[in-house]
Formats: sequence, C-alpha cells, structure tokens
Amino acid sequence: MIRQGILIVMLLAIFAVFIVSLSDLDQLYQTSADYFREYGAEQTGSNNLVTAILLDYRLFDSLFEAGILLIAVSGIIWISKHDIEEKNARFMLDKFKTPDLFVTFSRLVYPLMLAFGFYIIVNGHVSPGGGFQGGAIVATAILILYYIDAEKETNIGMIVTVEKFLYLTILIIASLSIFTRGTFFTNVFPYDTHGGSNQAIYLVTLNILVGFKVALGLWAIFTAFLKEGR
Amino acid sequence: MPDMLEITAYALQVLLIIMAIAIVTHKNTGTIIVLIAVFSLVTASLYVINKAPDVAIAEVAIGSAIIPLIYVISISRQREFIVLDKAMDDFIISDDAFTGVGYIFLKRFTDFYHLELNISNDVRLCSVGRGREQKLCEETNVDLIVSKDEETGKYLLKGKESNILMHKLKQMARDYDAIEVITFKDRDFGD
Repeated sequence: MIRQGILIVMLLAIFAVFIVSLSDLDQLYQTSADYFREYGAEQTGSNNLVTAILLDYRLFDSLFEAGILLIAVSGIIWISKHDIEEKNARFMLDKFKTPDLFVTFSRLVYPLMLAFGFYIIVNGHVSPGGGFQGGAIVATAILILYYIDAEKETNIGMIVTVEKFLYLTILIIASLSIFTRGTFFTNVFPYDTHGGSNQAIYLVTLNILVGFKVALGLWAIFTAFLKEGR
Repeated sequence: MPDMLEITAYALQVLLIIMAIAIVTHKNTGTIIVLIAVFSLVTASLYVINKAPDVAIAEVAIGSAIIPLIYVISISRQREFIVLDKAMDDFIISDDAFTGVGYIFLKRFTDFYHLELNISNDVRLCSVGRGREQKLCEETNVDLIVSKDEETGKYLLKGKESNILMHKLKQMARDYDAIEVITFKDRDFGD
C-alpha cells in the first residue's frame, strides 16, 4: 500500500514537471533543423548534434526512454520469478560447455570491448555514440564474461536496485536546471560560459549515468534469461 | 554515372532482402541466429551510408551482439528433454545401466525429435510432494516427472499440457500397458 502510494506520488510529480516543461516546449517544437545546426554546438557545448538534442533540447524524451528500459527489465524479472528456491537443478550446467577456442578468444576481446564501451560513453558529446550505445557495448562485454565462466553467480535484485537509484540520480541531475535556468530538463550551466567547456561536464556526467543504467538494465535482462535455463 | 557509395547502398539493400527471405525459410536454428546477426550488420552499414553513425553503433551492439547471444542461450536450453525419475526402481535404470523399459521408450521418443535425453534423480527435486508436482513442472525446466502408482503398478508420466511434445508422448504410450501419460492443465499465468 505504501509502495503504491509512493508510486502514485512519483507519477503525479512527473506529470506536474511535464506540464511545466510543456510551456517551454511549445516554442522549441517550432524550430527547424537549421536552428539546431546553427546554434546547437554553441548552446549545448556538444559537437555531436544527436547528443545535443538527446541530452539537452529533448531531454524529456530520453528520460522516458530510460524509464521504458527500466519497466522492461522489471517485466522480464517478474515473468521469470519463481518461488521454489534454487529453482533449477545444477545438472543443466554440466551440459553447457563452451568451446575452448571461444573462451580464449573471449578473454582476449573482453578488456578491449569494455574499453571501447567506456570510450563511446565518455566521448558521447564529441563523436558518434553516447550513453545508450556505450552502455550496450559494455553490457555485451559483461555477457561475454558468462561464456568465460559459466558458473558465475549474479544477484539480479542488487543490479536492479542500483539501476533504479541511477535512474533517480539521472532525474535529479536533469531537473537541477530549474535552479540555474528556470526550466526543467536542460543543461545546468548557463549559456555564456567560455567555449562550452563547463557545459561538457554536464553532458559527460549524464552520458556516464545513462551508460551505466543501460548496461545494468541489459545485464539484468540476460541474467534473467541465463537463470531461466539453469 | 552514380558514385560508388550509391551502388554499395543498393547492393546492401538487395542483400538485406535476400537475408530476410533466408531467415524466414531456413530450418536450422543455429544458422538463423548467424543470419540475424549478419542482417543487423548490413543494416548498420546502411545507417552509416545514410549518415547516421549513432544509430549504427546502437544497431551493431544490440542487433548483432546482444540479441543473437540471448537467442543462443535460449536455444541451447531447449535442446534437452529433462526427465525427473521419482520411481527409483528398474523402470529406467537397472543395474547401473540404462536398460529399463521406460528408458528405451523415452529414448525412442527423444530420438524422434532429435533431443538429448537428460534423466535426473536430483534429491532436492525428488523430495517435492505430490501436490506440488505441477508447480515443479511450471517453475523449473523439468519436462517430465516419472513416478509409480503403488495401487495399480502403473508408471505415471506427468508433464504440462501446453508442451506439444506431450501429445506425441501420449500417442506413443498407447502401445505400452504399464505406462500412463498424465498432463497438467495450465493455470492462468499471473495472479
């Protein structure tokens, strides 16, 4: 009952924020693509215009996208929930053998994939990529880890809890701009900082948070799939 | 004279159509997974040609890595037919060798579907009571529970009704007097 109450309060809060930001969106949706090309880099401090739109102009969309992933993860975990403890016997595990060649190659590729994922997350505002793409690559690297060590145990509950808190952090950081700029869901730092280097701090922070959230979400999804068979 | 990039784009689009038809018509699941991964790679290269590198990175990571790997996991779990042996007599295992009537029957059945027969007498699972057998079938990946009816001396093979394999098992069990196949009705999923 308390949980449902909290949920309703949170939904109402999000709805209120939505109404507030709607007044501002009205003028933004009038803009054409040329507007972004001309002022995008200057106003948001991002050379990658996709990130500029995703994390600044249309941050509201991105937040709900991240929320949808969270809901999908919860759904998958709810479907694969079981009451019998140690729900599947261990005999399944012995049959699941990975070829040695694949294991060796995975060990070689794993750190490279992880590094590439982090590179894409951190450089989201200067080169193609961003939180979601980098997070997916990091999740793939973690998935490869399961092929190296088939008996690896993961606590799904903890992953999902961390993911929820990351999502809340993203929401809080995204709404911080109400204090500095007077509107929700835009860059915390004001327009006219020198060269947009301050604004990049905000973009990198948000990209890293979104990246970790996506990686944890996908990790939870395929852990649920892996446990289903054990 | 169209430039090289344009020709490549057309070639990739034709390849995409061929790949889609191959995915639908192919029978071997392993090949289909590889084809899906290749399909995603071709789509990603088309995104790059159309100047959308952000989408291309996401497509490569999700479409050609995570989704095929999840398919591989799911399908490798489906390859086995898991039997829980609660009877504990010579119906399946006699003298430490698989020579029982039940084993031969089940082996014939799994060979028909190219499945691997996996017989378990895991103590933890066998100790599950009679009333919870249906729950066990629903919640674990056990396909069939073998037990003995003490009164009639018949061997009871229990499984889920929604499992299509159970229909075939019922047909094959008609020739055997000592075997009776029982199916659990599926309960509504979700409380």
